[in-house]
Amino acid sequence: MRELGAEIARDYEDREPLLVGSLKASLVFISDLSRATPILHGLDFVELAGYGSAQMGGHEQIRVLKDLDADIRDRDVIVVEDVVDTGLTLNYLVRTFELREPRSVAAVTLLDRPYRRLVADLPVRYVGFVVPDELFVGYGFDLHERWRNLPDLHVLLEI
Amino acid sequence: MGLDIPVFQAYRGTSVPRFASLAELECAKVLDYYGVPWLYEPRTFVLEEDEDGRVIVAFTPDFYLPEQDLYVELTVMKQSLVTRKNRKLRKLRERYPEVRIKLFYKRDLERLAQHFRLDLAS
Repeated sequence: MRELGAEIARDYEDREPLLVGSLKASLVFISDLSRATPILHGLDFVELAGYGSAQMGGHEQIRVLKDLDADIRDRDVIVVEDVVDTGLTLNYLVRTFELREPRSVAAVTLLDRPYRRLVADLPVRYVGFVVPDELFVGYGFDLHERWRNLPDLHVLLEI
Repeated sequence: MGLDIPVFQAYRGTSVPRFASLAELECAKVLDYYGVPWLYEPRTFVLEEDEDGRVIVAFTPDFYLPEQDLYVELTVMKQSLVTRKNRKLRKLRERYPEVRIKLFYKRDLERLAQHFRLDLAS
């Protein structure tokens, strides 16, 4: 965490970036990352609805449950993700934010599975750990909304 | 099969896609949900021919993502049981090194469809 915070502080010195947490799983990570980033920076959050339309028999586009509070025009935005695998969610966020004309958009992720990527050219500039294709719980990661509160990351062996 | 095909927003084909399985339909919905342009089975790759040039083995990946220039083959099998598909992908990469293709696993679909209880055969 200290290394990630130091990297961000070095790259964004005097630019007061906005860290944007993608709820809910990144909540713990962004809390620690913010405290480990020793420069002025803002915090904001966004939440997208998980894909679940088919259960209701319909088909829908992605829904933003919580949009940014901040105006990001001319700001440096750093999206804080818990994990990036296919990149579909991050791709959506980046494309959406870019329409608002920020100065820059980058991403930091605690966990990365680059070998699962469907979307290339994502601005994932800071990576905590490249991880194997396992399910994790704890440290904000959940399974059906359980175990987010575990203080450490755990690999889930069986569901 | 009698799948209820919705009106897709990010589909870039001209005719209504005829999915071979519910899992393929769900994969299309997921791509559409995230606004990623996609095509369904737009190209068949010849993998093996006999001496007379007749096609012995061919492979048609399920999806093509034009913005990513990426073919995607969906598999609902467990990752440890996809040897045959992996062999086809390996052959495709050998014969068409310029083509980018990835397997999209049941687990990928489940991660994206967190709240959707999709009954995918394994």
